[in-house]
Amino acid sequence: MPAPPPIFPVSHIELPDFEQHLLANGLPCYHINRGTQDLVRIEFICWGGRPYEKHPLVARTTAALLKEGTRRHTGSAIAEQFDYYGAHLSVPFQMDTGNLAMHCLNKQLPEILPFFIEILCEPALRQTDLQAYLKRKQQSLKEDLSKAEVVAYRNITEHFFGADHPYGYNSSPEAYADLQQEWLVEHHYRCFHAGNGFAIVSGRFDEATSSYIHGELARIPNRAAVPINTLTIAEQTPGKIVIPHVQGGQAAIRIGRRLFSRTHPDANGCYVLANLLGGYFGSRLMENIREDKGYTYNISAGYDSFRWGGTFQIDTEVSPEYVQETLQEIRHEIARLRDELIEEEELQMLRNYLMGSFLTMVDGPFNWAETVRTLLTEQLGKTDLAALIRTVQDISPEEIQRLAQRYLQDEDLWTVVVGP
Amino acid sequence: MIQYKRFTLANGLRVLVHEDHSSPMATVNLCYYVGARDESPERTGFAHLFEHLMFSGTKAAPNFDAPLQMAGGENNAFTNNDITNYYNVVPAENLEVALWLESDRMHNIRFSEKKLDVQRKVVVEEFKETCLNEPYGDVWHHLAELAYKVHPYRWPTIGMVPEHVSEASLEDVQAFYDKYYQPNNAVLIVAGKVDTDKVEVLVEKWFGHLPSGPLIERVLPPEPPQQALQQRILKAQEPADALYLGFHIPSRVDRDYYGVDMLSDILGNGPSSRLYRRLLKDKELFSAIDCYVSGSIDPGLLIIEAKPVEGINNQQARAAIWEELELLKREGVNTRELEKVKNKVESTLIFSELSVLNKAINLAFFEILGNAELINQEAQLYRKITGKELQNLAQRIFVEDNCSEVTYEAALEEAVAEV
Repeated sequence: MPAPPPIFPVSHIELPDFEQHLLANGLPCYHINRGTQDLVRIEFICWGGRPYEKHPLVARTTAALLKEGTRRHTGSAIAEQFDYYGAHLSVPFQMDTGNLAMHCLNKQLPEILPFFIEILCEPALRQTDLQAYLKRKQQSLKEDLSKAEVVAYRNITEHFFGADHPYGYNSSPEAYADLQQEWLVEHHYRCFHAGNGFAIVSGRFDEATSSYIHGELARIPNRAAVPINTLTIAEQTPGKIVIPHVQGGQAAIRIGRRLFSRTHPDANGCYVLANLLGGYFGSRLMENIREDKGYTYNISAGYDSFRWGGTFQIDTEVSPEYVQETLQEIRHEIARLRDELIEEEELQMLRNYLMGSFLTMVDGPFNWAETVRTLLTEQLGKTDLAALIRTVQDISPEEIQRLAQRYLQDEDLWTVVVGP
Repeated sequence: MIQYKRFTLANGLRVLVHEDHSSPMATVNLCYYVGARDESPERTGFAHLFEHLMFSGTKAAPNFDAPLQMAGGENNAFTNNDITNYYNVVPAENLEVALWLESDRMHNIRFSEKKLDVQRKVVVEEFKETCLNEPYGDVWHHLAELAYKVHPYRWPTIGMVPEHVSEASLEDVQAFYDKYYQPNNAVLIVAGKVDTDKVEVLVEKWFGHLPSGPLIERVLPPEPPQQALQQRILKAQEPADALYLGFHIPSRVDRDYYGVDMLSDILGNGPSSRLYRRLLKDKELFSAIDCYVSGSIDPGLLIIEAKPVEGINNQQARAAIWEELELLKREGVNTRELEKVKNKVESTLIFSELSVLNKAINLAFFEILGNAELINQEAQLYRKITGKELQNLAQRIFVEDNCSEVTYEAALEEAVAEV
């Protein structure tokens, strides 16, 4: 066997530009033009997610119903048109924004894009479609609630923010039953327009295709930007919640706390801290609880951010007989973060792993478009991503320990256990 | 068009190199020709358990993941009925690290009781997470058992019961490794930002010295044609009723596979597909409905899964689905519908070529099937299918005697009734 080869750390990541074009209707349109295939993806993104709702569940329901038909075409005709040309229409769910996306081969664009604009601007939002949607939704909610992990997730996020906060509230059969069709019409009129969002065009396209796309997107009307609701967090003292749940063979565990948005000075450091604890296969939690103890198939920790806030969460599913040991080991790993400085070799592995994951972000037009969407949705730019990369490269063991001591004290963390 | 160079080492390892310089990454994909169908009926789930043990470490790399993560790479693996596939995606300058790790673990793994014990527990937790926690998560256990009586597809990859996994011994592990994890039973794909000439040298350096293993003779009992409808009713703690129909279809290597795949598209792929549009949207009978094919090397299944809305029982649901199948058999597909699925196949293939990893996994699978060039011929094979062929296939496949049916009836008490 030859000697192991040398390992070259990724030292630099070239972040591609995403040029902004301001269209005639005032809509900012970002271009990500690269890749190897003649296909294009267009996503319209507006400030019409949960923080902009007047009633719970309106944002998601409005977006979902866009596909159900326009004033001129039935949902069936739209579905037929997209399928016939091998195109795809989707409603990516995001917390802060209302989104509508499509992708197709460039050559099919003239058959598809006019429909996309029509769906965006003139949805029918019919009462009958709302009723049919609610019927399906109530059933899928019933199925979701039979899963311990879903119950755990719903419970812990509600405690982070409060049951009335846009990031904290949960869907319920009652809230669905309350939905009024005119609320959807109002939400759509107020939020889905050129004065309240932006578009991202990604793929490989030429000048002519680009100006065609601009012409179509410029048909979206422009109205006044939507102000953010006042967000009030219901502060509660963190504790442990145990919820009995009979279905399934395992218990779901969630441990975490509310954090902050990416604009906070400690956000980048917390990203590194969460990854060290549970962000990859070699993380502390995976190495200990899966690879050494065999208590679980999967355990992870992550820092998730929104435009107006964020969370830190650990989640796993284990057999009932391992719940106590797993909780104990998680607490032990969190204590190690606070009490011990990370060794240079482990920190180097974490840095290199994360640098490799950043490289994946710029691999192909659609991966990069997704990263750009996240940045723009959180009101960030390329320099902020560059700053995150710098933090990954430069963060010291002392800084990681400081962050763990500041944000991961046992008394600041909620624990939710759902299971038999 | 996916271009590649193909060569075979003296020890029998087949190698394909595909350059794609639009990506900053290199992919090393190693596919072993062994899956759940090669297991003994008393040790089901073993191929998948073994996949976990491939991360046990060697003398040179005691922790498989550590050097790969140090190299900025990501890796994972999957096992199905036919193959076990390992992949690594690394920044291009660290290609050799992935080649080293894969060659090292093809020959030098040190299994131990401790590692085996941990992974047995991990896999039992995986069994619980995927089959018991998920509503209807055990459907594949029931459907496979109904549809196959003699062929090893009668058990799922995760294993028939957790006990099979917890009883696996270190001797079983070593014997399986010695038999199947050999260069002549594997296909290596190197793809992405790589140089073919350099890859040839590196592959020779890392894999050339490995001895080849025994020839594997695979004699699996073919599944005799099904003679009558197979039904199982489960009164389980599921949130709502559900219905699963499985129909025997030709193997992935059979030309008819392409027609069957298109039938599944016509029935269930996309918002204008027949089952979705007519039964879920227009008649509002279901909250979810889907249709797909298993695509296995030995003859597989076309599966229709459906969740009736409240107020619709499984009998009504079954009748509605059969009505659509009978219509398809009677009237076939129209020209526009045929054109639609062909357009969909074309755009799906073009989109799938955006991902280097996707291309690498497909190349490996086609090479295992015996012909990597199929990857570039498939679009054409789909294009050639006629409406008449689809109708004939539908008439052959959608008959009650060829169907296995699992229904869940939402109930509080747990009981299983066989019909």
